[in-house]
Amino acid sequence: MNDKKKYFLYKYTPVFLLFTSILNEIDFNLEFKYFTFNFAYILIFYYSLKREGAIGYIFIFIAGLFNDTVNGLPMGISSLSYLLLCTTAAYLRNITLRPNLIKDWLFFLIAILILNFVTYTCLILFFNYEINYFDQMINIMGTFFAYLVFSYVFRFYDDYILGASN
Amino acid sequence: MESGRDDFVIAIRSAFLKKGNQQKFSLLSLIIFSIIFLILGNFNFRIVNFNRTVIKEIIYYSSFIVNVPENIIKNSLNNVSDHFNHYDDYLVTKDELQQLKNKDIEKKIITFENIELKKLIDDYFIEDRQTYAKVLIDKESPFLRSIVINKGSRNGVKAGMAVYDDIYLVGKVVEVNFLTSRVLLISDINSKVPITIQPLNIQGIMSGLEQASGQLQYINKEKLVSDNNQKMIVVTSGVGGIFKSGIPIGEINSADTSSNEKLIVNFYRDFSQLKYVKISSHIKENININMDESNKKIFEENNSQINEMNNQADDIKVLKQQKIINNEIQLKLKSENIRLKNKLIDTQEELRKSSKKINSNQEKIDDLNFLELNLTYGHKCKKSFFKPQFFKIGTDEYRTCVLNKGIIKKD
Repeated sequence: MNDKKKYFLYKYTPVFLLFTSILNEIDFNLEFKYFTFNFAYILIFYYSLKREGAIGYIFIFIAGLFNDTVNGLPMGISSLSYLLLCTTAAYLRNITLRPNLIKDWLFFLIAILILNFVTYTCLILFFNYEINYFDQMINIMGTFFAYLVFSYVFRFYDDYILGASN
Repeated sequence: MESGRDDFVIAIRSAFLKKGNQQKFSLLSLIIFSIIFLILGNFNFRIVNFNRTVIKEIIYYSSFIVNVPENIIKNSLNNVSDHFNHYDDYLVTKDELQQLKNKDIEKKIITFENIELKKLIDDYFIEDRQTYAKVLIDKESPFLRSIVINKGSRNGVKAGMAVYDDIYLVGKVVEVNFLTSRVLLISDINSKVPITIQPLNIQGIMSGLEQASGQLQYINKEKLVSDNNQKMIVVTSGVGGIFKSGIPIGEINSADTSSNEKLIVNFYRDFSQLKYVKISSHIKENININMDESNKKIFEENNSQINEMNNQADDIKVLKQQKIINNEIQLKLKSENIRLKNKLIDTQEELRKSSKKINSNQEKIDDLNFLELNLTYGHKCKKSFFKPQFFKIGTDEYRTCVLNKGIIKKD
């Protein structure tokens, strides 16, 4: 693979993954009863933290609109949560001197708890949605645990397959 | 402490306002955009609705196109597994077919009876508008279980129409665009369907729980006692007028009713395997609607069939009653016949006795008559020394002579 192709993949893979995961039915709400996770959260947080600008904020905003449309949620709610996630990632990036995966991981948990709180509050108070809290808790925990795995996968892809570290 | 707060403020401000490399918008501006979108979504502005509809149409079809490779893989896997299970399925289907054939006739009669009864209580609905649609997206969100179909307002789809897979309830249309619509599945927690539990005829509300099951609410569990551990069927009750009554939804295992846990309805259909669905709305039969010629013809044919079946059913009822009456008459006649026979035998016996008696009486009368005549004319017949030509007493000639009042002289 030549450098041009590698650079192309390096630049557009996160965006492609984000839109594919949102538009495609491979939505990571797997058939397992007690294991679901939100892939978009992991992807956005990881790349906002590790590679600023890998997914443009405008793309994230549009992806949120797409996600709302596909999932039948009020338009703007996913955009808001994705952008809040970007904010937390940007804040973490600003205050971090020595990056550490475990710290990032725990910060991710706090971030998704806060933005899910915001999302559920909006849905319940303003849009009269009823939410199965057990399913949501499973989704949050699944997302939290899956982050660790996917952060290794993304780093492996960036560093070793595309050789971004070089 | 002061410097720590300053750091926090600086970091937050930087996170919100700093445009990163090649970023055209700051996070704060996009967050404000999102909130504006959310607020505008709550208002029913025509231009906002139009834009929203256009965006949705584009995204639905984009999503459908992106899904094509995955759907091909999914369908191929399903086809392979179908081929492996082909023979087993055939045996099960054969068995089921036989059972269904047996039930079919019974069902037809019950259906017509049901229609008649519903007409009597003014609760008979006929399909007003019916269309079939392809499922474009069945993405399962943790927030909302819904599907997107390829029929919209252009095809006459309206919000609130019921959606079926075969005859089973799938959900209702909650959002209509020009070319597409969103269907809220009954497995979603936000879906509330008025139901009836058969055969106990208990009313309640069902809300979605999991992909293949729902949860019953507002039901008195103590009433849910079924015989023989048979499965109880959950159908729509028609309360509220959103769904017509009697649409099958699923089954409750009677074992669940005894426990203190939630009452779970196991749906008849797997909503993750939906490919095509039927959308229809219902109206009462007596309302005049603008039907086209083909629908009119079908409607008339159905009506005539129903009438014919009703007439036949009436005839059968009359014949059954006649048969019952005939049987009763036959039984009565039999018992009457037996009684008359006995009476005849008795009468014959009596007659025989009477004739015997009459004979004996006649004999006595003859004897008395003879004795009476004997006193008067005995000497004219009695044989004596001087009248040797007469007859000896006690002989038949003597008797004849007495009865003839003496010897009849020959000329």
